[in-house]
Amino acid sequence: MTDDDGPAIDPDEYEDVWVFVEEHDGDVMPVSWELLAEAKALAETTGDDLVALTIGEDLDDVAEEAIARGADRVLVADDPVFEPYRADPYGEQFRAMVEDRKPSIVLIGGTHTGRDFAGRVAVPAHAGLTADVTEIDVDDEGVLQARRPAFGGDILATILCEEHRPQMATIRPGVFEAAEPDPDRIDSDAGEIVDVEVVVDEDDAVSEVLEREVGETADITEADRIVAVGHGVEGDLGPARELAEAIDAELAASRAAVDEGWIDGARQVGQTGKTVRPELYVAVGISGAIQHVEGMNKSDTVVAINDDPNAPIFDHADYGIVGDLFEVCPALVERLETEPIGEVVQ
Amino acid sequence: MTWTIVVGIKQVPDADEVGIDPDTGRLDRASAPAVMNGPDRHALEAALTIRDAAGGEVIAMTMGPPNATSILEDAVAMGCDDAVLISDRAFAGSDTWPTSLTLARAAEELGADVVVAGEETTDSSTGQVPPGIAAHNGWAQLTYAEAVDPRPEEGRLVARRDVEGGYELVAAELPVVVAVAFGEFDPRPAPLHRKIYGENDFEPTVWDAEDLGIKDEVGLDVSPTSVGRMETVDPVERKSEVVDDVDDLAAAITEVRA
Repeated sequence: MTDDDGPAIDPDEYEDVWVFVEEHDGDVMPVSWELLAEAKALAETTGDDLVALTIGEDLDDVAEEAIARGADRVLVADDPVFEPYRADPYGEQFRAMVEDRKPSIVLIGGTHTGRDFAGRVAVPAHAGLTADVTEIDVDDEGVLQARRPAFGGDILATILCEEHRPQMATIRPGVFEAAEPDPDRIDSDAGEIVDVEVVVDEDDAVSEVLEREVGETADITEADRIVAVGHGVEGDLGPARELAEAIDAELAASRAAVDEGWIDGARQVGQTGKTVRPELYVAVGISGAIQHVEGMNKSDTVVAINDDPNAPIFDHADYGIVGDLFEVCPALVERLETEPIGEVVQ
Repeated sequence: MTWTIVVGIKQVPDADEVGIDPDTGRLDRASAPAVMNGPDRHALEAALTIRDAAGGEVIAMTMGPPNATSILEDAVAMGCDDAVLISDRAFAGSDTWPTSLTLARAAEELGADVVVAGEETTDSSTGQVPPGIAAHNGWAQLTYAEAVDPRPEEGRLVARRDVEGGYELVAAELPVVVAVAFGEFDPRPAPLHRKIYGENDFEPTVWDAEDLGIKDEVGLDVSPTSVGRMETVDPVERKSEVVDDVDDLAAAITEVRA
């Protein structure tokens, strides 16, 4: 596989667009459905089948939902060895499926799980793997155009994988919209569910999950209103939380606030977090590093509260106020409570 | 048995010092000094923590140009026992596939029981290299590690991993590659005598692609990915209206619904 002259592959032997459907305990990560919807357009362009694949235990419901959401085929590797997730059994199973069935394009959500095991497929397959992609397209030859922000978000680089297959990418959560399930697709047998051979054995595993605690995962990508905190809140989320309650917003954060441990990583907006597109985004104590702005610049209206008049966030905001957030937030809450914000008009 | 802990570090442009080109208003990275990748400093701390608990030695490795020696000196000052510079023109144009192969071979050559690295680099932020090292060598991996608990008596290393909405404790058999979540390991300061030693007396071992037996397996030609186009991103137009009092801001927020 690591032939000195490079791989002698024939791209024509590879077909279909694959989307990894990530589930934990029966719950599917939203990014999986976002990718399935976006990949449908790719598959239509290339004339390939849209194939969902899922790895885990008791996956019947997940497989059916993948059909309802547009998959032509679902490959299911169902076995207790896959629950809970571990990099080595997942990677090995996925690798075997890729080797057997030769997909042309493989899309994986850029979650911690997706980013953890994607390399365990791409490395042995000598596949091209592009990280943290925010736009995808395909050219006439079926070459995936995987675009990702580079140089801190200032530039969009198109990464190609012309001479290797499959063409793999991890894709940032929140950048695409999921399609609603269509129950008619199940009733009309529009898709096929295929149980694949499980090639992994517990005896071969080199890791063991001793404990796992996962609560309700916040999905800030679906929020209509967001109040996001940055380094400026100095660990005190109280004022921002009250503001969020006053305008019925989800709480989110910049990387700095996540790294400080003030807020869960699932709520991180930006290059290494999620892309959000709310109607209203209030940045509280966020300086406005380009990596952060990139995750929130699809917001309709941006409001910034910061005590540094030179903070770059003001260039990326529609409305800003220079002031101490510990005074501005409570005052704002008081004003808003006398004139509460209404329902979002779509 | 004590452990050989290898820590992978990278020289990157200083993200805080990247200037703005006054003519184009865009980032000018060439003006930034080269420094150690921030997340790797946390990886160094994690590696030293593992050594404190399990015994053994910590060896820093970097793949880069000859002047990347300076970050190895930093690593030695912080407490690494030794360091290796992997440098060769043959590596030019390597994407994450040959890069992780190179580091995987070096880790093997060093007899690593544990490889530690930062979760990603600030210049390319793929996060693919640590899992790539594990994949090339067929080793276990623990990414997004927030805490480490070496258990030499079991021949395993346990890490607390950050997962969406929670955490998990995972035990991995050795050898294992650990990618450290940024911000979880506060790097210890380098004592003055180690700084002096690092800068004046320390010389890293230097390996090239041939030393690692991978001369024909690195560089642009074997990299599965290539960069096609680079497009500048036009900034989103914003009103950039700075208001003086909170009433105006409240009015603006209330207007959003209209």
